Amino acid sequence: MRPILLAGHERALTQIKYNREGDLIFSVSKDQQICVWFAHNGERLGTYRGHQGAIWTIDVDPTTTILASGSADNTIRLWDVKTGKCLKTWDFPTAVKRVEFNEDGTKLLGVTEKRMGHLGTIVVLDVKVDVEAEQADEKAMTIVCEESKATVAGWSYLSKYIIAGHEDGSVSQYDGKTGDLIYNIPIHELNQPITDLQWAPDRTYFITSSKDKTAKLITAKDLEVLKTYTADTPLNSATITPKKDFVILGGGQAAMDVTTTAARQGKFEARFYHKIFEDEIGRVRGHFGPLNTVAADPTGKGYASGGEDGYVRVHHFDKGYFDFMYEVERERQNRLAAAASA
Amino acid sequence: EDAERISSADVAVVQHRRRLLEEFYAWRAVVEEELAEERAALGLPADPVAELLKAKTAEIAPQGEVQEQVIE
Repeated sequence: MRPILLAGHERALTQIKYNREGDLIFSVSKDQQICVWFAHNGERLGTYRGHQGAIWTIDVDPTTTILASGSADNTIRLWDVKTGKCLKTWDFPTAVKRVEFNEDGTKLLGVTEKRMGHLGTIVVLDVKVDVEAEQADEKAMTIVCEESKATVAGWSYLSKYIIAGHEDGSVSQYDGKTGDLIYNIPIHELNQPITDLQWAPDRTYFITSSKDKTAKLITAKDLEVLKTYTADTPLNSATITPKKDFVILGGGQAAMDVTTTAARQGKFEARFYHKIFEDEIGRVRGHFGPLNTVAADPTGKGYASGGEDGYVRVHHFDKGYFDFMYEVERERQNRLAAAASA
Repeated sequence: EDAERISSADVAVVQHRRRLLEEFYAWRAVVEEELAEERAALGLPADPVAELLKAKTAEIAPQGEVQEQVIE
């Protein structure tokens, strides 16, 4: 599983996203650039320029037509994937830390930063997935986070709920239409921020990562914690792999926070856990700094990680990965195969 | 005696995993069925994106006219 190294960014990576077909990788960084790469060979297809600050977040609609980005320049921008043209800019009073399209790409949420005089919010924008269309100026909805600011958020199945992870370690479920708060549950350790939230393919459950060194698998419908993955380092990102029942976690202690030299120096590794059994099954080394973002190819062929070191590493899984199976999994597979042929 | 103790521990681990696997897939089956019902009740297609992609393809190549270009 030799990785492809994408060296195009000059500063720390903040988020990576695959498109739905898994052939393109979008990456954003503190260097104010959005890059798009071919997943299979790591060739850079282009860049999207215009942001005037660090870019924190990116998402692409399910048809790979438009791209949304959120930045420290207090804007969300919409881009034409094919031409790189900026289609729309929405201004906010503070930085935008997270953007995400809903399942059909018609709604975009943005998480805005809390700052003196401004509470953290989750805004919803109505979007037309059409590069020719005029996009609406007005926000369709604003959710104000009175208690603890949201750090991450996303749309559930059917855009029924907006799920947010907060700075205080709690997870909220809001009504996707009205923005009303339904639940707020302390899920991660108190005051250990939630750093990432990524969905399973059908958006009925998701994974969160936290500075509390754990990642959790949670249901969208009632915020029930299904699984907990325990690491030995603060986590910045977590993703669910399709095809195989694994999750991948990324993190690492920032150099400035390291007070003692640990046995496993730096611990800048992507960690693979079994999604159902919660066991750690492997690690992938390579980065020279903490992993800020991990993303799984939606087609199940590989994954990519982005580091504080400014590199994106793209991995294509080899046969050993696909063959790996617990005895009880093999047993189940054989039983299903027998039932299908009977 | 030692070997017996080890193997009984192994059996317990395997049985635990078997149970976890069954529980997870049983839960998935329930959730998938509920979701399919909800989609149908709302008159939505089973796969939201498949429909969108079909529409996009039709837009790019109207009337089934597909232009093929071979790049060496």
